[in-house]
Amino acid sequence: MHGRGIWEILPRMSALAHAPSDPRPAGPAYRAAVLTLVALGVGALASLAAIGLTDAVLWLNDALLISPRTRVQIEGRDHLVQLATVAVPAAGGLLVAALLRLAAPEGRPLGPPDVIRAVQFERPLPSLQGGMASTLAAMISLGFGASVGQYGPMVYLGAMLGGLVRRLRLRVPNLPSIAVACGVAAAISTAFNAPIAGLVFAHEVVLRHWSTQSFAPTTVAAAIGYVFANVIFQRPALFLVKFEGVQHGYEFALFAVLGLLAAALAIAFMRLLLWVAAQAPRSGIPALLRPAAAGLAVGLTALWLPDVLGIGKEVLRFATIEGAFGAGELAVLVAAKLALTALCIGFGFAGGVFSPALLIGILSGAFFWTMLDSTGLATSGVAVYAICGMMALTSPVIGAPLATILIVFELTRNYDITIAAMVAVVFSNILAHRVFGRSLFDVQLARRGADLSAGRDRARLTALRVRDYVMADAPVARIDAVTPAALRRRLAASDWTEGYVTDAEGRFRGVLRADAAATGWDEALHAPALQFHEDTTVMEALQALRGFLGEAVPVVHRGDGRLIGVVSESAVIAAYLDVSTALRREENAVL
Amino acid sequence: MPFCDPPHPARRWRPRSALPILLGLLCTLAAAAGADPRPLTVVTWGGAYAQAQRAAVFDPFTRATGIPVKVVQYAGDPDSLRTRAAEEGWDVIDMLEPAAITGCEAGLLRRLDHAAILGDLRAARRDFAPARLRPCSVPQNVFATVMAYDDRAFPGVKPTRIEHFFDTARFPGKRAIQKTPDVILEWAMLAEGVPPAQVYDLLSTDRGLRLALRRLEDLRGHIVWWEEAGAPARLLAAGEAVMASGYNGRFFAAARDGAPLSVVWDGRLIGYEVWAIPAASDQPAAARRFLRYATRPAPMARLAERIPYGPARDSALERIGLSPETGIPMRDHLPNAPQHGPRKLVADSEWYSHTRSLRARRFREWLDAGG
Repeated sequence: MHGRGIWEILPRMSALAHAPSDPRPAGPAYRAAVLTLVALGVGALASLAAIGLTDAVLWLNDALLISPRTRVQIEGRDHLVQLATVAVPAAGGLLVAALLRLAAPEGRPLGPPDVIRAVQFERPLPSLQGGMASTLAAMISLGFGASVGQYGPMVYLGAMLGGLVRRLRLRVPNLPSIAVACGVAAAISTAFNAPIAGLVFAHEVVLRHWSTQSFAPTTVAAAIGYVFANVIFQRPALFLVKFEGVQHGYEFALFAVLGLLAAALAIAFMRLLLWVAAQAPRSGIPALLRPAAAGLAVGLTALWLPDVLGIGKEVLRFATIEGAFGAGELAVLVAAKLALTALCIGFGFAGGVFSPALLIGILSGAFFWTMLDSTGLATSGVAVYAICGMMALTSPVIGAPLATILIVFELTRNYDITIAAMVAVVFSNILAHRVFGRSLFDVQLARRGADLSAGRDRARLTALRVRDYVMADAPVARIDAVTPAALRRRLAASDWTEGYVTDAEGRFRGVLRADAAATGWDEALHAPALQFHEDTTVMEALQALRGFLGEAVPVVHRGDGRLIGVVSESAVIAAYLDVSTALRREENAVL
Repeated sequence: MPFCDPPHPARRWRPRSALPILLGLLCTLAAAAGADPRPLTVVTWGGAYAQAQRAAVFDPFTRATGIPVKVVQYAGDPDSLRTRAAEEGWDVIDMLEPAAITGCEAGLLRRLDHAAILGDLRAARRDFAPARLRPCSVPQNVFATVMAYDDRAFPGVKPTRIEHFFDTARFPGKRAIQKTPDVILEWAMLAEGVPPAQVYDLLSTDRGLRLALRRLEDLRGHIVWWEEAGAPARLLAAGEAVMASGYNGRFFAAARDGAPLSVVWDGRLIGYEVWAIPAASDQPAAARRFLRYATRPAPMARLAERIPYGPARDSALERIGLSPETGIPMRDHLPNAPQHGPRKLVADSEWYSHTRSLRARRFREWLDAGG
C-alpha cells in the first residue's frame, strides 16, 4: 500500500549500463591467438578494400572523362569534354542522394566521427547496410569528380570491416575497439603506403590511448596493409620529392609562420564546412537535389578551372614544381577548392575532408613560397614550403599531428622535409586546437553530443545518465496512499533517513525526513537539497554531489515533474569508478 | 601448305614420330622446287636494325617457307600507310605501337585474329604481358629511347641523369634531339622531378605541357634536330653534338663499331615495336604466315642477339645468348636489364596515339616562337 506501485513501472536499466562486458575472460594464449588472427584478417580485408576503392574510383574517373589523361585523349571533341565536365558531377550527386535515401538507414554518409564515437563509447558502429551504402556513395562521389576526399571513406570502410569482429563474441576484452583500430590502421597504411602513420593514426584519432594490447595488433594490421600495397600490388610511394635539405636556418622560422597561417586557413575551412552543412536545409533546394546542385557548381567551375575536379593528384604534384602556378592562380584555386569542398560535403556528397585539406594546404604552401620568393629572400625552393603547408593545414583538420608528420616521412621518404613539416605542423596544431578544437571530427561529434575535448573519462561520464542508476528499493510513497506517520515508521525500520513522496499521478512532491515531527503532509514535506533530471549526466551529478550531505537524490522529469526514481550518492560514485576502471584496464592492458 | 608452318610453341608440340621431320623435308623440297612465289614486302626502319632483322627473321623465314622477303625502308610515319602502301605493295610493316594504334583506328591496318597467329590466347597474353595484343598489331620487341653522350666532350664529370641533358651550364654543347614532341616532353617532366608514374597524367594537362616546353626552353639554341634513327650516333661521332637522344640499339651498334659514346640509362623511355599488316596488302595470307613466324620466341631471341632490343615475350628472354658477331652477352644491353637503374618510363602508346595532333601543334608553336 505504499509507493512500491510506482516503482515497478520505473525503468531498470542500471544493470545494463555498467555490467561487466566479459563474464568469462579467456586465457592469455587464446587471447593472443584471437588478437593475431583478427589483426591479420582485418588488416588484409581492409587493405584489399582500400585498394579496391582506389581502383574503382580511378576507373570511374577514366570512364567518365574526369581524369586529365582521358580528357586529353579526346581532344578535338571539346563539346564532349565540356558536357562531361558539367553533367558528370551533377549526375553523381543525384545518384548519391538517391542511394543514401534508399539504402542508408542513417540517411547520411558515415565517416571517421562515427568510428571515433563507436570506439570511445564502446558501442557498435552504425549499421552494416549504412556503411556499405556510404562506401558506395563515396565511390560514386569520388568517381564522378566531386570535390571530396577518399581517405575518410577508406577509414570508415576499414573500421566497418573491423567492426564485424564484434559480432563474433570472442571473449577478449577490448577486442571490438582493437579490431576497428586494426581496420583503420590497415586502410591508412595501404592508402598512403605508410604503415607507421597508419598505426599512429589509429591510436591518435581512433583509440586515443596507447596500450600494448592494442599496439601489437594495430601494428600487425598496418604491416599487412603495407605488404599488400607495396609487395603484392607494388604501388609506388605516393609523393616522392627531390629535396636536398633546408639551406638556411631562418627558414625554420618561416615554416612556423607558415604553420600559423595554415592553421588560420584550416580554421576557416572547418568553420565553412560546418556552416554550409548547417545552412544547407535553408538553401531552398530539396535534399534529394542538393548533391546534384553542388556537383553542378563543381562542373561549372571546372569549365574554366579544371584543377578543381576530383581528387586532384596532378595539382598536388604541380604545386611542388616552381613556376607551375602564378600567385594569382594559387589564390583562386585555394578559394575555389575551399568553397567547393564545403559545398560538396555540406550538400550531401559522401567523402572525406582529408584529401581536399591536403590539396588546399599544398596550394597555400606554394602560395606562401611564391610571396617569399617575390621579396627576393633566398629559400630552399617551393617543394618544402608546399609540403609544410599541406601537412600544416591537414593536421588540425584530422587532429593527428604525429600521424601527419609520419605521413610526410613515409610519403616523401625524405628526412629533411619531415623535420621542416614537423615545425609547421606543431605550430598549426597549437593555434587551431586553441581556437577551434582538436579536429573537425571532434567538433562534429561534440555537436552531436559526444564531447571528447576534456578527455575520454569525462566524455564517457557525460554519456551516462543518472536516471539509469536509480535504486530498486528506495522508499517512495504516494501522498494519497500513506500518512506521514506510516512512512516515518517504515523509514525507522530501514536504513533510510528520507522518504520520497509523489502525488497520485506520480509527480514528485518532496522529501519526508525520518526525524520530522509534523503530522500533516504540507508541513512535513521539504524540498530536496538536490534534485536531478532525466538528462542529468553522471558527470554533472558528480560535480553537484560535491559538498552534498544526504544519502540519495530524487530524479525528477523536467516536463511533467514525475519522479523517475532515486539515485544514491554511492551509485553515482560507483558509476564513476566503473568508467575509470574500464579505461584504466583498457589503457594498461597487455594482452 | 599450312602444315609447312613451324609448329607453334604455345601448343607445346613434341615430335612423337618421324612424320613431322618428313613433312619438313617435303616442305623444303617444295619450296626449292616450286614455282618462284611472289616476294613478301616487309616495311621496316633500315640501318643496323634492318640488318639484324634480315639475319634473325627474314632469311630464316624464307628458308622455312620459301617465300622471299623484299625489304622496304620507311621513317615510321603512320601517314606513309596512306601515301605509299598501296603503290609499293606493302604486306607487313614494323611500327611503333602508337603509330599502329593510329593506323588501326584510321582503318589503314588489317584487324588480326590473334588466336590464329599465336595459338592459345591466354598463354600468349601472359607471355607478352605487360605488352598488349591490340586489334591490329602483335608486339615484337622492346626498345628504349636513351640519352648518349660523346665521351670526348666530358673527360671529367660525366652526365649521369636526365636532368643533365637539360643542363647546358654544367654540360655545355649541342644536343641532338628528334624533331618530334615524342620523348623530349617526357624527359622534361622527369627533369622537373616528376616521378615516371605521373608523367603522362601531368602532360595531359595544359599546365604540364607548358612546364615541359618551358624546360625545353633551356635548350633553345643548343639543339641539332634529327629525323632518321641512325643520325644521333653519327652526329655524336662527328662531334656535331655532345649529347643525343636515340634508340638504344643504334647507340649500341655505333659503340660496338668503335664510336666514342656512352649511354645513360636514367630516364629511358621504353616503347614497343609491333608487327602489323597494312590494309592495302594484296597477299594477306602470306603476311599472316610471316607474323606467325616472326612472333615466335626463337626469332625474337635471335634478333635480340644482334641488336639489343628486348623480346616482347618472356619465353624468348631465356633463349638470348651471346652476340654471334662479337660474342657480347646481349642480355645486359637490353632495355629491361635490371642494372640500368630504377628511373624508366614505359611509353603509353594509346595516349601517344591520341594526343599526336595536340602535341604536334604545341611543339610547332614552340618551334615557331623561337624564330
